[in-house]
Amino acid sequence: MITTRSAKTGGMTPAEQVTILIIHTVILSCFASKCCFAMLSSPLSRSVPRSLASAALRCPEDFGDAVWRADSLARAAGTTVASGHAVLDAELPGGGWPVGAMSEILQVHSGQHEWRLLLPALIKPDVRGRTSAPVVLVGAPHKPFGPGLHAQGLDARRLLCVHADRESERLWATEQALRCAAVSAVLAWLPQVRADALRRLQMAALSHQKLLFVMRPAQAQADSSPAVLRLLIGSAPPISSVWRDDLQVQVLKRRGPPLVKTLLLAARPARLAVLMALAPQQTEEAHALDCPARVA
Amino acid sequence: MHWIALRALPEAHLPAASDGDLPDALSALGWWALQFTPKVARLPGAVVLEVSASERLWGGARPLLRRIYTSNKPVAQVQYAQGATSLVALARLHDTALKHTAPDDLPLHTLAAAQPHLATLARMGCTRWGDLRALPRSGVARRFGAPVLAALDQAYGLAPELYPWLVLPEVFEATLELSAQVESAPALLFGASRLLRQLQVWLQLRHRGVLGIELRWTLDARRHTAHHGQQVVRTAEPTTDMSHLQRLLAEHLARVTLPAPALYLHLRTLETQALCAPSTSLLPDDQPTGDSLVAMLERLSARLGPQAVLQVHACADHRPELMQHWQPAVGGNKLIAGSAGAARAGGRKGFKSLKDPKDLKSSKTPAPAVPATSALAPTWLLAEPIKLANNQVGPLAPAPFAPGLLHLLAGPQRLEAAGWGGTPSALRDYFVARGDDTGLLWIYRERLGAAHAERPDWYWHGLFA
Repeated sequence: MITTRSAKTGGMTPAEQVTILIIHTVILSCFASKCCFAMLSSPLSRSVPRSLASAALRCPEDFGDAVWRADSLARAAGTTVASGHAVLDAELPGGGWPVGAMSEILQVHSGQHEWRLLLPALIKPDVRGRTSAPVVLVGAPHKPFGPGLHAQGLDARRLLCVHADRESERLWATEQALRCAAVSAVLAWLPQVRADALRRLQMAALSHQKLLFVMRPAQAQADSSPAVLRLLIGSAPPISSVWRDDLQVQVLKRRGPPLVKTLLLAARPARLAVLMALAPQQTEEAHALDCPARVA
Repeated sequence: MHWIALRALPEAHLPAASDGDLPDALSALGWWALQFTPKVARLPGAVVLEVSASERLWGGARPLLRRIYTSNKPVAQVQYAQGATSLVALARLHDTALKHTAPDDLPLHTLAAAQPHLATLARMGCTRWGDLRALPRSGVARRFGAPVLAALDQAYGLAPELYPWLVLPEVFEATLELSAQVESAPALLFGASRLLRQLQVWLQLRHRGVLGIELRWTLDARRHTAHHGQQVVRTAEPTTDMSHLQRLLAEHLARVTLPAPALYLHLRTLETQALCAPSTSLLPDDQPTGDSLVAMLERLSARLGPQAVLQVHACADHRPELMQHWQPAVGGNKLIAGSAGAARAGGRKGFKSLKDPKDLKSSKTPAPAVPATSALAPTWLLAEPIKLANNQVGPLAPAPFAPGLLHLLAGPQRLEAAGWGGTPSALRDYFVARGDDTGLLWIYRERLGAAHAERPDWYWHGLFA
């Protein structure tokens, strides 16, 4: 409801916008108390008693942070860690991955794009300024390859791989890792997790202020989830049958209005990116394995 | 002087100390009392402690007494009495009615040295300490012997009271008789937690942390031929945190099956180490919240198995599958990233040997140059290379997802490594390839000579995730 109304306000005058905004605040009781409090506490409304609408008309900017506009991003409640992708940071509340909250990464096949998306944030200093704190991987689909990660700046000895087949064991291990003071981030692959278990993880991440990324299959996007941030990632589709190496990110859920457009991240190490740009563009559907000599 | 006498109530008594290694409640009580003062003596039937020197540490006599009365003790029911000398305190311990009786009015039967002469003294009309003290000293010495006189002097503080003070043993060893036969191993934990509390007292008093404990249980001999069972629990860092040990013990006991009901529990320390307590911060923000890394690793390894919690070690090899070695995080080398152990990272050789180890610690330094080939290394490596089918869509082996048709984008990157010590040699050409919707893959073509040149074998080995 918020988005449809705020989308309509595009062609209105500022006065009408503010009036609609006030109507919204009356409708939405949770925001109404906040807004009225802001008006009563503003010096103008205290000296000259006016109606709500006229006070708002005069100085909508005076309210500052007290009024949250429905078409703007929410201010992050806690701290964030920049994701390292400028395009993505601009669309995330607080400008990065939320610390002390669960972020869900959905993709068709697990293990395809995680490192491209998450690695820049993992090599940054965490909320306590540590750069070498352990990162726990619970139920990773493959083995992380140390030299490849090191080339992108992540010391593989920070990684701690926990293998568990059963979902309950993975959940337990994830929660234990979140409770550990030394750990800075937890990456968990939970293909068949239930919402109540996720809620428990979200509470653990919140109470211990950890970065928590949960990888789930893309089919889970229709399910409800307690995660504050849900992203659907995948390979970018080709443009006019020319293949692209970009990472396509679709923000399914965030604290703010839904994002309609998809984001494209060119997240590759520089050398690999150059190599990809020089790579031969094959438009015909030739099976490479049939004719390796041509490429070699 | 301020003496406190403690006595375990008769119903709380464990089997007598003469049964060999079985413990007595008084020793446990004495150990527990050692946390208040070093002057603790074990007498027949009671424990006395002299607290005048340590009263100030505990905030005065009254807070100290309250602490002694209310804190959790190894014996369920304990009687207390206090007095200016140990004999007065012991005498008052006999009867709660004597709690505030003056020494002169204490009945003579409460003085142990006068016990053999009670009948004689009673006929003389002496029933109280004051009566005996009023008698001429030389006559008392002649008739009842010097010990009575010496005891009387000590009781009135005229002679020093010297006892063999209680000293903790070098190795903690305690036994508990279970109140009921225990049928299942996890139920042993309740009894073990009582022993662990004793261990904690012992550790605190000796300023040591435990590295390994052994819990043994004696089984009912009538039910099974095996008489004992045991479980060893070890930790990587010396600890006094009994909750951690208890959790580890619970994980281990959950997998134990008792062949017969258990009757006794024995707890023994296998290895202890002098403890260096962590320095705490004045500022509340710096206090760490949550478990330590070692505790978490040990708990995960105890439940999932050591092979399920792995950390990587770099190896000098050109074959990708041998470039790194995964080994259990518990019991091996420490993670570089341990909360306090980051300083140890400097001397280690690994992936980091490519750059200055100091660079990694400070976040401000730019990423140093890495060899050109590393940029072409994938971020995931498959556990086993998966053979790709020629002319077929999809791999032969079961795979996380089918790569489908592949297009080569870059390569070849030639690898030629001979095997040392029985490891297979590798003659490969690596390529970066892409599928239709798979992202970038790392595949290789095996070079096995001219015979295979027509139809070489292709393998999928990694992902640029």
